[in-house]
Amino acid sequence: MHELGVANEVLSVVLAEAERHAAGKVTVVSLRVGVLRAIEPEHLSFLFAHLAHGTLADGARLEIEEEPVRLECDVCGVSEARSLPWECPRCKGSRITVKGGDSLEIASLEIDT
Amino acid sequence: MGAGKVRIEVERSIQQSADEASRAIRSLLSQRRIYSLNLISSPGSGKTTMIEALLSRFEGKGGVAVVEGDIETDIDAERIRRCGVQVRQINTRSSCHIQPSQLLGVLREMDLSGTRLLIVENVGNLVCPAEVPLGEDARVVLLSVTEGDEKPLKYPLVFRTSDLLVITKTDLLPYVRFDVEKVRRAARAANPRVEIFETSAVSGAGLPALLDRIEALRAEKRFDP
Repeated sequence: MHELGVANEVLSVVLAEAERHAAGKVTVVSLRVGVLRAIEPEHLSFLFAHLAHGTLADGARLEIEEEPVRLECDVCGVSEARSLPWECPRCKGSRITVKGGDSLEIASLEIDT
Repeated sequence: MGAGKVRIEVERSIQQSADEASRAIRSLLSQRRIYSLNLISSPGSGKTTMIEALLSRFEGKGGVAVVEGDIETDIDAERIRRCGVQVRQINTRSSCHIQPSQLLGVLREMDLSGTRLLIVENVGNLVCPAEVPLGEDARVVLLSVTEGDEKPLKYPLVFRTSDLLVITKTDLLPYVRFDVEKVRRAARAANPRVEIFETSAVSGAGLPALLDRIEALRAEKRFDP
């Protein structure tokens, strides 16, 4: 439930970028959020909408792409997971390398000039 | 897209400040060879009492520093101060968890020469502190026997990401319905590597084993140069 701090940071960056591009209005914000970040997308959207009220991002739609964890298993290769795995979800093998799932990025914006 | 609509590629991380702060904390502690614990639990599980109990048994407690986190007051820092150990209080006010930037600020103000162990007591909360790492070496979750034995199922993230689970207030077991084995199984299902301790600060039961393990973890730690 730390979405409030995240929503604030997203809004700051969005407004800074909008100003840089002399935007009249921001219509879409595309975020990439890793599943390990424990962010609830609906809650984040709700808070963002609330904070954006009265700013250039008022009414902007938040599109959230959830980035899964990538697993490389010695036995059965590459797969994805939605939480931190202790073993390969396919073969239950324990020789796994876990990568990603922790991004928290603004990928792109759409603005009206 | 219609006229006047532009798409801007941004590709910018928005967790920069928190990630940077927790990296700075790791670096600061690593350079000084300080081993750090982050204590997380619901309010009233016995975090401060556990720290007091450990300190009373800790040889060379001059090597311990404590940072307390609460919404308001320095009540906990005052208790730790009476144990004769360096302590600072963070009042998080509107935040339900210690933020990395707050901890970094406090650590930079402290005299950490001679410190070997840092104990951070987070704000009482089983949800948000689990979501916001502080750069700690070991995360310790406390669960008291008065809190019900289904908590590892209801709060998966904190149990999944903790290195140690301390089941506290075991002196109260005769008076509550709490299935210790059920908690142990659920905690291990969430995290097969978790180390589980059962303690009572009132009777002292289980504290020597916990203290020994913390000392051993600190001794085993290889600090990057």
